[in-house]
Amino acid sequence: MAADPYDVLGVKKDASQEEIQKAYRRLAKKLHPDLNPGNKQAEEQFKGVSAAYDLLGDADKRARYDRGEIDESGAERPERRFYKDFAERGSQYTSDAGFADFADDDILSRIFAREGRATVRMRGSDVIYRLELDFLDAINGGKQQITLPDGSRLDVRIPAGTRGGQILRLRGKGRPGIGDGPPGDALVEVEVRPHRIFTREGDDIHIDLPISLGEAVLGGRVRVPTPSGAVTMTVPKWSNTGTVLRLKGKGVSRMDGSTGDEFVALKIVLPERPDQEVEKFVTQWGGTYDPREAMEA
Amino acid sequence: MEADEFVVRAKIDIQTLDTWLQSGWLAPHRHEGGTRYSQADLARAHLINDLSDLGVNDAGLPIILDLVDQVHGLRRLLRELVSAARSRDAQDEAG
Repeated sequence: MAADPYDVLGVKKDASQEEIQKAYRRLAKKLHPDLNPGNKQAEEQFKGVSAAYDLLGDADKRARYDRGEIDESGAERPERRFYKDFAERGSQYTSDAGFADFADDDILSRIFAREGRATVRMRGSDVIYRLELDFLDAINGGKQQITLPDGSRLDVRIPAGTRGGQILRLRGKGRPGIGDGPPGDALVEVEVRPHRIFTREGDDIHIDLPISLGEAVLGGRVRVPTPSGAVTMTVPKWSNTGTVLRLKGKGVSRMDGSTGDEFVALKIVLPERPDQEVEKFVTQWGGTYDPREAMEA
Repeated sequence: MEADEFVVRAKIDIQTLDTWLQSGWLAPHRHEGGTRYSQADLARAHLINDLSDLGVNDAGLPIILDLVDQVHGLRRLLRELVSAARSRDAQDEAG
């Protein structure tokens, strides 16, 4: 190395140590061989820059160089070997994360098979499946089977409270790895079919419950369906359409062991066929109550 | 080489080496007789030093190391693919 180290770094002879460090950083960022592994020219330049910085970056050595006690090569080290020289040949640090998802590509696996490269080791890729669940199966959990394109079956455990759009990961059930690489995962995307009477909001269940005129006026005990089976509930006297009652803990199980609630909206339903008794009674009643008063209609 | 020689050649002190080992930045092979450092470990240590000189902090370092490892893995794969394609070309011409 014969070039003047000040020229190599592009600094003046009277530059401060700080300016020298700044100049080195600027050049090293651009030229470092491990950050530019394909650029041979950068590697040569970096060696020069790094030798120059070795000399000038150290205030003592710089002073001795300035006094002429050592020459430009004074700081030259034995040929340095860069990390890329080892990493690219494969070491414990080499990572396949950048291409692991190509592992099941036909062309790649054919080439690897023909070359008989025992050294190639790749994780198998993940496979995505779709699973449509009944509303209640998603809420109560259980086991389901998926039939794979090759006819084999895959058991999937559905955790209680599974939501639509949730993805279940089955470790090691994806494509096999190449070499002794581990297999990928199966990702099961869950879709939940709507239910005839239940709707779900978060971990709560909502249901519209028809009640008779008599039950609404006098109150009473009624049977209410919940995802875990029917229960008996008391309708208070004088309950209106739209009244919402809560059945605590009859909703969806959560991961932490707690449970959401079921909300029961009452809906007064008259008998389907006109009933003379009822008509007679209402005529006799003859109330003057106007439920539309507030609407100013 | 053993740890005492390694720290001298990597220009670090033994505490720094411990930190790097704990952070997983260096993963030398361990044998029954103790830990042996390879030339690859040394080159990686120089790279960590260079990155610190460039102003990369402890939070950024593992990210860069991981990306550098990925790039090297990809370059290695690319090299194998190129050589596989070349040998197939040769076979095709011969056949």
